[in-house]
Amino acid sequence: MQANLSEKLKTYRISQPEYEKICDLLGREPKGLEWALFSALWSEHCSYKSSKIHLKKLFGKSKRVLQSFGENAGIVDLGDGEKIAFKMESHNHPSFIEPYQGAATGVGGILRDIFTMGARPIALANYLCFGEPKAQRMSTLVDGVVRGIGGYGNCVGVPTVTGQTHFDPSYNENILVNAMAVGYFGKKDPICLSKAKGVGNHVVYVGAKTGRDGIHGASMASESFDDNSAAKRPTVQIGDPFYEKLLIEACLEVMKKDLVVAIQDMGAAGLTSSTFEMAEKGGVGIEMDLSQVPLRDSTLTPEDIMLSESQERMLLICEPKNFAALKQEFDRWGLDACVVGRVTDDKKVRLLWHGEVICETEPEMIVSSAPEYERTYEEHQLKWPIKKAIPQKGEGVLGDAKMLNTILTSHHGGDRSWIYNQYDQRVGAATANDCSHAVGVVRLQESHRGLGVVLGCRPHVMRMDPYFGGIDSVVHPSLQLATYGFEPLAVTDCLNFGNPEKKETMTQFVAALQGMNTFCQRLETPIISGNVSFYNETKNKNVSPTPSTGLVGLRPSVENLPHDSFYKENQDVVLLTFGSSWFSGFLGEITQATSDGYLEKDLSGIETFVKKLTLASQEGLFASGRVVGKFGLLYALARMSLEGMGAQIVCDQAPFTEVFYQILLSTNDVSRLSKALLSENVSLTAIGKTQKASLQWNEHKWATEELKNLYKKGWEASFAQLAR
Amino acid sequence: MRKVGVLRFPGTNCDRDIWHAVEQVGDTPQWLWYQDRFNPKDFDSFIVPGGFSYGDYLRSGALAAHAPVMQSLKEASELGYPIFGVCNGFQILCEAQLLPGVLMRNSHLRFLDTMVDLTVINAHKRFGQKLEKGQKVHMPIAHADGCYYVSDDDLKRIQDNQQIYCTYVRNPNGSVADIAGVMNKNKNVVGMMPHPERAMYEWMGSCDGQKFF
Repeated sequence: MQANLSEKLKTYRISQPEYEKICDLLGREPKGLEWALFSALWSEHCSYKSSKIHLKKLFGKSKRVLQSFGENAGIVDLGDGEKIAFKMESHNHPSFIEPYQGAATGVGGILRDIFTMGARPIALANYLCFGEPKAQRMSTLVDGVVRGIGGYGNCVGVPTVTGQTHFDPSYNENILVNAMAVGYFGKKDPICLSKAKGVGNHVVYVGAKTGRDGIHGASMASESFDDNSAAKRPTVQIGDPFYEKLLIEACLEVMKKDLVVAIQDMGAAGLTSSTFEMAEKGGVGIEMDLSQVPLRDSTLTPEDIMLSESQERMLLICEPKNFAALKQEFDRWGLDACVVGRVTDDKKVRLLWHGEVICETEPEMIVSSAPEYERTYEEHQLKWPIKKAIPQKGEGVLGDAKMLNTILTSHHGGDRSWIYNQYDQRVGAATANDCSHAVGVVRLQESHRGLGVVLGCRPHVMRMDPYFGGIDSVVHPSLQLATYGFEPLAVTDCLNFGNPEKKETMTQFVAALQGMNTFCQRLETPIISGNVSFYNETKNKNVSPTPSTGLVGLRPSVENLPHDSFYKENQDVVLLTFGSSWFSGFLGEITQATSDGYLEKDLSGIETFVKKLTLASQEGLFASGRVVGKFGLLYALARMSLEGMGAQIVCDQAPFTEVFYQILLSTNDVSRLSKALLSENVSLTAIGKTQKASLQWNEHKWATEELKNLYKKGWEASFAQLAR
Repeated sequence: MRKVGVLRFPGTNCDRDIWHAVEQVGDTPQWLWYQDRFNPKDFDSFIVPGGFSYGDYLRSGALAAHAPVMQSLKEASELGYPIFGVCNGFQILCEAQLLPGVLMRNSHLRFLDTMVDLTVINAHKRFGQKLEKGQKVHMPIAHADGCYYVSDDDLKRIQDNQQIYCTYVRNPNGSVADIAGVMNKNKNVVGMMPHPERAMYEWMGSCDGQKFF
């Protein structure tokens, strides 16, 4: 009997204390289908049991926020009758097991979170972390993930407008694939929520038929990897973007016609989570006959049906009188829509199999009573509290301007167009800035204003210090938005960390979240949606802490955006420096030459600086701009010179030190610019002039054509077998 | 004001973009659903937009070519109405044999989205009538199956009959003779892989596309 129980706990990935809690709640042992329900809904993936305590503290409200956590995605009011919904989500574990389908269904899943709310998806972004190019399977993983993202996004017809890709050995055996989607509501588009209501209403299953794929996917994603990860392949879902495209059109149509009371997609833990969450949120019961669910495989058991993560399916609530009209619309798009149950008043989820009750539980008991853990962590201590000046000229690697050639031809500093050119960046005919720019930009359909989309989190900064890295995940992208004239509005995040049962991981998690949250509050950019991905760990090795963020910003128009390259000749090149924090940066890390710096966690005055920069940009006070990032000043100058217009620069700062924060601008009017931008903690120095065809840095000189050639070579040097 | 029929198949995803482009140049678009027939006389011309009709299953454009709406489109073609296919629309028109040649997987076997330069070889009487021979235009491509193929004999025939619409300045996909767009023998039907509807304003990176509508 005892052996039997431990076997069962293992199968359902339920711990002994959790088992005892379940027995307490039920007043007996769980039986039959209940095992599967608890397994899915109490998994880390669905219940957020290790992070909930900390997530509750997040800043999530502002006058613009219409919907925050608790729904499929957050919603921000843009004014003028326009709204957007957006969210970012991870698909790390499936992508490592089966890169094409893992990445593709990651895109599919995040899109469903958006159009479930009634918003038409208008932009995608993706944040990818890979291991070293030479690591086992890495070329295959990179190839599969990129093809998967493209294969899904291109077909479904949503443009990918921005992204980031990082490489580090900590991702060798656990890559990260995070996808973000943004959806649009025009003046007449209704917001749909997932709260089930109306006793006697139909529970309707729409979309693809249920198959065997993805069964136990949620609990798989809540475990660390071992040598047997290949054996988990059947737990990965298979996507069909064509079906999703039809589902988008049909769902948006029935929502617009007001035929839907509530709707939720079937994501992690499939039918289980949608049924229980819809019932729990609405404070109602749901009675559902699983034998009515359309199946791809007639041998599926009720447990399989409840746990299948087959893609492109939705559960919705509809008034009986509207069902015929609803079905007609789904028929028109060639999709199934069938009644599988009804809303009841007894606050119970009752599951039937050919009319016979097989399970009856209170959703409240399973959803709200899910365990919450206060995992052990330590208060974080910020590194480098002793003030040191930003290094000048300097010796060693960080002072050696010739290192620029090495950086440009590496996979860290080289061209990424091999990746993003496989994504359709312009479908929708609204893209003003594609992936080649620092900020992706789409034009809003009705008001013609610009929406900027940018991702944050720099793993090398996280590795330096998780608290500061958390700050940087918000501040760096906010400065990028501001540079191109977008007022930062709100944040979504995807918190990728290792094993939360380890103190070291939880310490990183808490520190990063505190850093992010403090600056979200300061910059008035609430965190409105997101997800947590723990157990990014293989054979006891955690990935770098990686709380990726997605920010959106608003600009009055998409005309006259500042360029991210130099393009006007004989303009002054201005270096804006905020504060005095710095560190030896990515070059110091990868060459293992040095690790040094000074960090000031207050960043006093950053709010004013972001506001002033946004306005100066909107007023057109500079022609080109770029936030200096990874690899420091000289690398940023090189990137700005790739289009053929370079600059002559005289500057004493060490070329590859990374300062928090610096921005390069080119302008005709330095005095007007300084009047507009000077404020607390901000200094402004003219360091040179733009000039045609070459970049000069003190005594060093490169032809812009040469820089471009080096930059283009970077990808092929590391992924020769993938480059065409 | 000209009335332009815009075809929609399951999986078409550039339909709304084409709609806006047609409106932008002052014409009136009207949807034509794939299951429905239509009377050509109600329209001035027709556009088959891009996307992934039927999810590209079997072969891009192959299933759409047999949808009911295509029967009416064939009648329209026989009556000499102008018909314009963009990207997947071009593939559908080739599969329906309203245009010569076929579109195969790009020679590098990957989807490619990038801006390209095109040379106009022969103008079309309705779609691109303001374009001049030899003119260069700039706009994006975004496709996996854009490698145009015709046999040597057919190539000579379409060259002699001035059926080549536009060519790539730098061939991005392995197309025969750098062909980006072609016309049928009667020159009422025209198709191209690049997307003029994505080059309608300066902020899109080019407004050369306006000349194609």
